[in-house]
Amino acid sequence: MEKIKVKICSGTSCFVMGAAAIQALEFTPPEDIADKIEIVESRCLNLCHNAENKHNHGPFVMVNDELIEEATYEAVVNKIREILKNNCEA
Amino acid sequence: MSSSLFIEVSKEQRQKHGEDCFGDTVYIQKIPEEQRIISVLSDGLGSGVKANILSSMTTRMAMKFMESNVELLRSSEIMMDALPICQVRKISYATFSIVDSELEGKTRIIEMDNPPFIFIRDGKEMNIKSREISSPKWKERTINVSQVTTQPEDRIILMSDGVSQAGLGNPKYPLGWQRQGCISFILKQIRKNPYISAYDLAHAVVKEALTKEVDEQAGDDISCVVIYFRKPRKLLVLTGPPFDEDKDREIAELVSLYDGKTAICGGTTANIIERELCLKCEIDKTSFDENIPMASTMEGIDLVTEGILTLTEVYRMLKEGIDKNKNNAAVRLANLLLDSDKIDFVVGTKINIAHQDPNLPMELEIRRNIVKKIFRLLQDKYFKEISVRYV
Repeated sequence: MEKIKVKICSGTSCFVMGAAAIQALEFTPPEDIADKIEIVESRCLNLCHNAENKHNHGPFVMVNDELIEEATYEAVVNKIREILKNNCEA
Repeated sequence: MSSSLFIEVSKEQRQKHGEDCFGDTVYIQKIPEEQRIISVLSDGLGSGVKANILSSMTTRMAMKFMESNVELLRSSEIMMDALPICQVRKISYATFSIVDSELEGKTRIIEMDNPPFIFIRDGKEMNIKSREISSPKWKERTINVSQVTTQPEDRIILMSDGVSQAGLGNPKYPLGWQRQGCISFILKQIRKNPYISAYDLAHAVVKEALTKEVDEQAGDDISCVVIYFRKPRKLLVLTGPPFDEDKDREIAELVSLYDGKTAICGGTTANIIERELCLKCEIDKTSFDENIPMASTMEGIDLVTEGILTLTEVYRMLKEGIDKNKNNAAVRLANLLLDSDKIDFVVGTKINIAHQDPNLPMELEIRRNIVKKIFRLLQDKYFKEISVRYV
């Protein structure tokens, strides 16, 4: 099965908004998803530049094609589990 | 200073254990218009505040006289008059070593009562002839003057007697480390790393001297100054996207054509270079740190880092000292800066609006300001040659 791609923005504002904590997925992922994800680090996804975003909605994380705004470690892990569950059901 | 020679001067000091301030004083000054660097080391009698005042006075006087090219004997007499011999201990109140280096190659060394300077060329210690001069007024105090024409890769090392006598009182080193022990150590360091910077060598000498002491506590003030003559090492630091996007191509070409090392600081900046030069850039996970975004690797580029947070941390470390136990992007950038002599900053002035969001948990500096702080520090504290261009 293809691994789930998790792209974490580590640009300046995402980093200070908490991207560093999400990067822990790379080094100590929960056991149930450890071998099912592939972490793709990104220097900057350029999403904070979007002027329509009145406030910064970082940190930004892409799980496959889905964008998570104001991401947290838990939110990303939950999203991964949800996709895995959907994949199983399908 | 545009000559082909660069002089890196660095010092490291430890005060005598239990004292609040250094009894030795080191004062280094660059005179750009004359292409000279003058370094003075003075050891004040005793330790603590009294010694500090004596050695500070001596270095300031010596620097003033050297800068204004006052005749040597005349200036020495004035200094000896001001700092007479201690009536009780019959030794000078303060010693001094002065190294007056010109970029053209001529270097004069003037010494009174400090351990003689060490001169290293081609990995060996070289004895430089000196002549003694003494003033009719102060016959018992002699000054040694040496002159040498320096070449790239020469090094001059000055030390206070706290280095040569380190370990005195420790049964393992009844006579202390001694100058010869120090020379052997320095030669070993240079054999290990022929291009060791003045900064690293000065730190290594002081660290080694401390290992000779009982409980690694300095028994006297310990100071080491290293003057390293070398061909300049150039570094280009590119940080920030240009104000005008039309300049993306131009700055990418600057990077690809630069005749030295290159560092890119900023995610968007790295994205521009990656796009324009069709280079592959990958995050380097060995640089993980909770507080500093990871570095990346890009072919042909020596270092790629995030921008503001890394630069802010670099500024802090340049002020307070580099954390040797870490290997994050900021430590790598600080080391790269210190290992370079001529640093060209190219600063993109486009402001990332997201960084100004008051909801961010911390204040982010404006790029232009943090770079300004860094380059002033590099100029004033580390004597680097800096150029800055805003795009």
